[in-house]
Amino acid sequence: MNYTYFPGCSLEKTAYDYDVSARAVMQALDSELVELPDWNCCGATGAEVISHLLSIALPARNLAKAQQIGDQIVTTCSSCYFNLFRVNAHLAADAEIQEELDAVLGEVGLHYDGKLRVRHLLELMVTDIGVKAIARRVQRPLNGIRVAPYYGCLVVRPYAEFDGPDLPTSMDRLLTTLGANVVPYVMKTRCCGGVLMTTQKNIGLKLVGDILSPIRDVDCVVTVCPLCQLNLEAYQREVGGKLGESVHIPVLYFTQLIGLAFGLPEQDLKLKASLVGTQKLMKRLGQLSA
Amino acid sequence: MPEKAFNLTREMLDHSFAETVAPDREKLLTCIQCGTCTASCPTAYAMDYTPRQLWRLVQVGLREDALHSRTFWLCTNCYSCSIRCPRGIALTETMGALKRLAIAEGVQGKEKENVSGFYRAFMATVRRHGRNYEPEFLLRYFFNTNLLGLVGQAPLGLAMWLKGRISLSPSEIRGKAELETIFRKSLAVEREKEEGR
Repeated sequence: MNYTYFPGCSLEKTAYDYDVSARAVMQALDSELVELPDWNCCGATGAEVISHLLSIALPARNLAKAQQIGDQIVTTCSSCYFNLFRVNAHLAADAEIQEELDAVLGEVGLHYDGKLRVRHLLELMVTDIGVKAIARRVQRPLNGIRVAPYYGCLVVRPYAEFDGPDLPTSMDRLLTTLGANVVPYVMKTRCCGGVLMTTQKNIGLKLVGDILSPIRDVDCVVTVCPLCQLNLEAYQREVGGKLGESVHIPVLYFTQLIGLAFGLPEQDLKLKASLVGTQKLMKRLGQLSA
Repeated sequence: MPEKAFNLTREMLDHSFAETVAPDREKLLTCIQCGTCTASCPTAYAMDYTPRQLWRLVQVGLREDALHSRTFWLCTNCYSCSIRCPRGIALTETMGALKRLAIAEGVQGKEKENVSGFYRAFMATVRRHGRNYEPEFLLRYFFNTNLLGLVGQAPLGLAMWLKGRISLSPSEIRGKAELETIFRKSLAVEREKEEGR
C-alpha cells in the first residue's frame, strides 16, 4: 500500500538516516512512503510562539495538499506528527479557528476542514502493518541485544492516539518481536529538553542526564523522533562529565533496528550517520548470533 | 524555598488576565492548586515560580509578576502537566500564550531574549525557504543572541558535517509565494482580531 509521507525538515539532512531506513523498511514490507509534493515546515515549536493562527495555518497547508491525494498522511517526526494532529484537534474544538483558517488558506486557493487522518510511522507499523507481519519478515533476529525504548513526548502526548501517554508499550512490543531484549525503562517518556539544549544548555544536559543515567549499560537507545535522537546522542561527553561517568550509547531510530533485523544492507540503514558509532553494537550482535 | 508573600491590593489585579492568556479561561479558574503540574514538570526545578504558582498568579490577575516570570520560557512543550491535570486544563497551550503575550508586550529578560530569539531565527529561516535550513537558522540565532555560543556549537557542527548530517544549501519549496501569503494573512487576521477586542 502507498502512504502519503511527510518527512519534515530534519529528515532531509540531520536525520537522513531515519528517512532512508524508514523508506527501506516500508518497501521491505511491500508498502511505499510517497513524499507529499512541495511540503513546507510544520512550524515545529516556533510558529506557536509567533502566532497561534500561523501555528495552525502552516501545517494546514500540508494537510490541505495531502487531502487532494488521499485520506491520510504519515510522518516520522514526533514534532511534525504533533503539529499536524494538533490542527485537527483545534479545528474540531473551535469553530472560530476554522473560520480564520478558511480566510488564510482561501487566499492561496486551498481548503482544509480537519478530516485527514494523521499518523506516526510507529503507529502505522504496530497497527496497519502489524507486529506479526513484521515478525515474519525478520531474517537476522537481534538475539537479545539490550535496548532501551525511548518515546519522548509528542508521539504520545497530548493526543495518545495509539498508545499511552505515560508508559507506552507499542515500540517495546515491536522491538521484542525483532528479538531484542527490551529493558524496563521508567524514563521512556521523559522530555529530552527539546530546544533547551540550544537555548539553556545546562538544563538540557541535566534532562538528558536523567534520561540516560538509568540505562548506561544498554547496547543502544531506540527513538522515534529526530530531535530526541540528536539531544540524546550529540551531547553525551558533556552529560558524562556532569554524571561523573562516561556515557557512550548509540541512539538509533526504530526503523534502523527493524532494518537490521530484516537483514537490510548498510545503504538502507545508514548506521554510519551515528555520532557515537555502532561498531560495538554490531560486534555484540555478531557475538550473540555466533 | 518559601513562597513569596503578596500584599494584594485591588490595583494590582487584572481580572481579565486569565481571559487574555488561557485558551480555556473557565477551566483555568477551576485550578485547585494540587501541584500535579509541578510534580510532572521536568524543568520546574529551574523556574522562579513553579507551574502551580504561575497558574495562581494568572488566576488572581497578578499580570506583571506572571509576565516577568522565567517559568514559561523554560516550558519545553512536553505536555506532561496537561495530560495529568485533574481539571483537564490546557496548561501547555497556556504557557505558549504567555510566551506570545510577553513578546507582544516587549517584556525584557535574558530567558526571553534567548528563547524568543531562537524562535524568531527559526521562523525567519522557514519563511525564507519554506523549510528549516539548520546552518542559516543557527547563524541567525547566535548572531542575534551570543556569538560565543556559536563557538561552543562548532565542534558538534563539524562532527555532524563529517557524518553527512549538515546541508550546505537550503531546500527551497516551489510554493514560497503561497507560503508568504499564509504568513502575511495569518498575522493580519490575528492583528485584526486583537484590534477588535
